[in-house]
Amino acid sequence: MRLTQKKVLTKVHVLFLVQSCLIGTGILQIPQKLSAMGYSQAFMPLFFALIATINLWPMLWLNSKFPNNNLFQINEILLGKTIGKFINFLLIILFTIVCIDAISSYMLLIQSTALPEQTITFPIICFLALLIYLVRGGIFTIARFSIMAFFITLPMVLLTKWAIQKGEFSHFFPLFNFTLQEFYEASKNGYLSFLGYELILFYYPYIIQQKSAFKYATIGIWISGVLMLITTGVSVMYFSEWQLSNIEYAVLNIFKAGEYSFIERIDIIGMTLWIFLVYSTVALYLWAANEGFKTLILPKSQIHLYILVISIFIMLILPISKYLKMKIFTINNYIFYLLLLWPIFLILIYLFRKKQVHQ
Amino acid sequence: MNIRLLLIFLLLFVAGCSEQGKKIPIEEIDMIGIMAFDYVDEKIKKLTVAIPQYSKEAEKDTMVYSVETDLVSQGIVKIEAQSDRKVVLNQLRVILVSEEFARKGHVRSIVEHIYRNAEVGNKALIAVVKGRADSILYAEYPDKPNINFYLNDLLRPSFNTAFNPNTNVHDFIYATTNLTKDASVPYLELLDDKVEITNIALFKEDVMVETISPNESVYIQALLGKKSIAPLVIEMPKDTKISLNLVKSKFKIESNKDKHQPKLTIHIQMKATLSEYNIEHLDKLNTWKEISHLEKSINRQVEKDIKAFIERLNKQQIDPIGLSEYFRKYTYGKWTRAMTDKVLSKLELDVNVKTIIVNVGTLK
Amino acid sequence: MKIIIRTLSGKWRKKINTDKSPNPEYTLQLLQLLSDNSYDIVFQKKLTSEGIVTIIFSSSLIEKMTLQAVVLAPLSHSLHQIHQIAERMQYNQISEIENKINAGYTILYFHETKQYLALDTYSAPIRAITNTEIESTVIGPQDAFTESLETNISLIRRRIHNHYLKNESIYIGNNKQYQVSIMYVDNIVNKKLLKKLKKRLQHINPPPLLDTAVLKQLIEDNPFSPFPQYYMSVRPDTIAHYLLDGRMALLINNSQTVIICPTSFFEMFTSIEDYYNRWTTATLLRSLRFFGFFITIMITPMYISTLTFHPEILPYELLLNLQESRSKVPFPPLIEVLFIELIIEVLREAGSRMPAKVGQTIGIVGGIVIGTAAVEAGLISNILIVLVATSALLSFLPPIFLMSNTSRLVRYFFIIAAGLFGLFGQMLAFAWLITHLLRIRSLGEPYMVPLIPRKWTDLLNSVVRFPMAYLKNRMGISKSQKS
Repeated sequence: MRLTQKKVLTKVHVLFLVQSCLIGTGILQIPQKLSAMGYSQAFMPLFFALIATINLWPMLWLNSKFPNNNLFQINEILLGKTIGKFINFLLIILFTIVCIDAISSYMLLIQSTALPEQTITFPIICFLALLIYLVRGGIFTIARFSIMAFFITLPMVLLTKWAIQKGEFSHFFPLFNFTLQEFYEASKNGYLSFLGYELILFYYPYIIQQKSAFKYATIGIWISGVLMLITTGVSVMYFSEWQLSNIEYAVLNIFKAGEYSFIERIDIIGMTLWIFLVYSTVALYLWAANEGFKTLILPKSQIHLYILVISIFIMLILPISKYLKMKIFTINNYIFYLLLLWPIFLILIYLFRKKQVHQ
Repeated sequence: MNIRLLLIFLLLFVAGCSEQGKKIPIEEIDMIGIMAFDYVDEKIKKLTVAIPQYSKEAEKDTMVYSVETDLVSQGIVKIEAQSDRKVVLNQLRVILVSEEFARKGHVRSIVEHIYRNAEVGNKALIAVVKGRADSILYAEYPDKPNINFYLNDLLRPSFNTAFNPNTNVHDFIYATTNLTKDASVPYLELLDDKVEITNIALFKEDVMVETISPNESVYIQALLGKKSIAPLVIEMPKDTKISLNLVKSKFKIESNKDKHQPKLTIHIQMKATLSEYNIEHLDKLNTWKEISHLEKSINRQVEKDIKAFIERLNKQQIDPIGLSEYFRKYTYGKWTRAMTDKVLSKLELDVNVKTIIVNVGTLK
Repeated sequence: MKIIIRTLSGKWRKKINTDKSPNPEYTLQLLQLLSDNSYDIVFQKKLTSEGIVTIIFSSSLIEKMTLQAVVLAPLSHSLHQIHQIAERMQYNQISEIENKINAGYTILYFHETKQYLALDTYSAPIRAITNTEIESTVIGPQDAFTESLETNISLIRRRIHNHYLKNESIYIGNNKQYQVSIMYVDNIVNKKLLKKLKKRLQHINPPPLLDTAVLKQLIEDNPFSPFPQYYMSVRPDTIAHYLLDGRMALLINNSQTVIICPTSFFEMFTSIEDYYNRWTTATLLRSLRFFGFFITIMITPMYISTLTFHPEILPYELLLNLQESRSKVPFPPLIEVLFIELIIEVLREAGSRMPAKVGQTIGIVGGIVIGTAAVEAGLISNILIVLVATSALLSFLPPIFLMSNTSRLVRYFFIIAAGLFGLFGQMLAFAWLITHLLRIRSLGEPYMVPLIPRKWTDLLNSVVRFPMAYLKNRMGISKSQKS
């Protein structure tokens, strides 16, 4: 692999890469995922952001020891070629399934709101074609796309205005009204929506000012945390507990509350504009999978990306039952929690094998 | 570069093969504006829909179809068989249900069906009709342009109908699934060649139980946070009547936070201009002293009205204002509907009204 | 010998160069042969005090008065003056002599002394400096470049009194036959970018370089993109503005427009007039142009997607109107929109190709006859006419004409995307547009600045133009030297 990688990401890029990867399709469903806690879910995003910030620290510590390597390479260095490659293979599959999960849930949403009575095979092809175009631009383009996506979609926060007007502020009280069981249940389901910051393990070598990466990544995490706080907060105000646990896409219904005299349905515009957020998330995961794939075989070829995208496409249109899909996604998600702890494991190995590695 | 060109060609190729023809342009669809539900028996309901007719050659501006069905979507399919175009729910504005239908508790299931449908917006307003709901759609309104616009405009928020709760699909689902709140819906009556909102129907969970007059409903709206509740007509003893205009209301509800001995103190402040009065022995309101006297008597009357009215509702354990929310928010643990009922039946009320008349007009 | 004359390019020319002409007389014969079929190359013999002199010049490049004053008058009575100012030529450098003739020099051959002298008498008729018709502004200087390189350079130099203003001239093409002039301010310009530009210029092999527009397409980063990647202007004040910002300007002779590189996407929507207007007005106009671009590519696709996919977006009353006006139209909305958009395009093209006097009528014919008649005939709905007219007007807002062409082209992508998947398709196309713009580079610099600023100070001079006092810093895209 290239040892002297071109450093292209500024600190602002890091901020928005972290920020926009957190906000994907997950935020649409987060009130439903947290519904085990009822009205008390409102402040959960802040808790998640705190966990994420703590979790980010070992990741960046590990990276700072290998300033020119991404996690795939670190795996190989620390665990040896064979085990490292096996782990990398698992990671690639993991990321690909995340992409499939995000795309399929967004496409289902689009099918039920914007394109009813239409098959979504062709929209998926177009979506993936553009995804290839975006990922081929490299991490620099993805980072810049994330910035654009953030500013293009940020005005959507204003669309919650009507829901806030109608909502009841008293739903926030009593604060912290939940049992530990509910809290566990909600965090287990909900924290998945807060994933995305761990990809810094893979683009860290591209960052120019690596020392300030932690600071800016943290800002990114907290911006996303606040945006999610707005989502859950508005949902709690606007919905009843029954609605919170039964409405799959809470954001869609929040947008439905709004109306202008000339545009009566803002939700459709909002949901289709959401494509920017989906792209910024999926592209980064796909990029990471692609980078890992390159470390496995044929490092110079361009074919990996196409293989990945074609396999995503096949998985998306295969007539698998929704139940089986959900099962795969859930298992995948639990493995993802392992990935969050993976850097800590690697740090332990690093401390044991410090001398060997430096030789 | 070749790959890019290949992709473009692929896209164009697939675009050519896609099922373009299936999409139906706007002039080929019938957009249901109003749905009306009538009770037939426990399973079957009568669904009547009104669809605006744009063609100038048609004699009537509205098409009305009626079918009997057990599922809403099946009813739509049956209507499609009668219509010459595709029938869609995209522009549904008004859902009418007959009083019988509402009293038997079937509203929730149909509204939930509509709420689930992502194509229908939140704009669909719900109203209960005295007698048969379809009679409104079949009636003739010679001086109104189109029943679809007429009913929609009637039910929409407007300046002089502050009493109208404007319940849409979301509000209805929200109120019926909320443990500390009950739904209220306008109640329509067909009078010769026009429709009137005569009352407000109150629900307890899924079932309609009571109607209240617009004058009483104004206070519900004020306590739900509506800022402007004009015009307000207050009937006082001794045949005295006062009409207030431009009423700006503010309210504050204090709870004693004890769900076992619940007590609420309601403060209402109204700023208003006096538009008309009819008071014995008094032709003119000349001095500020007289006005302040009037303010005080208004306060007393409104306090009495509100208290009596809320206590009436509490006896029936209906909570359109969400008063029990003021106890839920101080209670840890799960809240249940039974607790709401308990709180309501025990609730003690204290009402404080403060009226400020800011203007009596330009006539001395 | 005749072969040489007919094929003047390529190998033959080299052959003459290497073939040393044995004597000056022979050179004269050769020159005569070379200019065999061009009657504007004049050979005249004059008798002077130093014997017979043959004067050779191209009469199409030299005015009679100049010839009289510089050559003929001194020949007759003050020959020493000629010897003082004239350039001495070697008789065996035939191609050089020939080039001099083609460049408007007058060659004198003294038969007695067998000497070749060259005198600069170039005085071809040039167009006077006139008002700009392409980029006219209400406020500000009105002069525009002409087709003469020297005039253009002088117009720029008049505005930048600075000895750092450099004007390099390099020859490009396989045979180094085209002269390109690169202008930059030496103490501001980024040297890396300058090097990159020169390298790029040296590696191209242009087809006949008739205008800078051709040159621009050859040195663009992404030739497949529909977007223009360099700014082009005929206004000397614009060029001076960008030069002082640290950009480079490319000029060639006989071309009115000047290229500025690198340029960002946003600068395609700025006009130099923004700096002459007050900042409030300038901000208003800039936002009109910039958001107008996005509105013009969205407005007619929106019509398609609401009518075919999301009728629930529009208010009820408007929808019924649309239903009524659409009811007579035989095509689906996609075809309807494509049809009327193409008609507009044809109108525009026809209008610009027609002689000016006829052109005025085309607007009336197109606007009234086709528009109204098409609605009445039930071919298109009247609401669409309003939308198409608005979007056509909006597409002419960008001050760079190439950008306005692009906006019309890009609109067709959006129309087709909207026809396929409605709003989802539009957003997909929008995401494509953004990705594409993010991937384009202008001379290696990201094109999408200052939407994504390189420097925070760029934001002061973006859609909102701050008052002049705040615009102290140069734009980030020029990467100018710190001064």
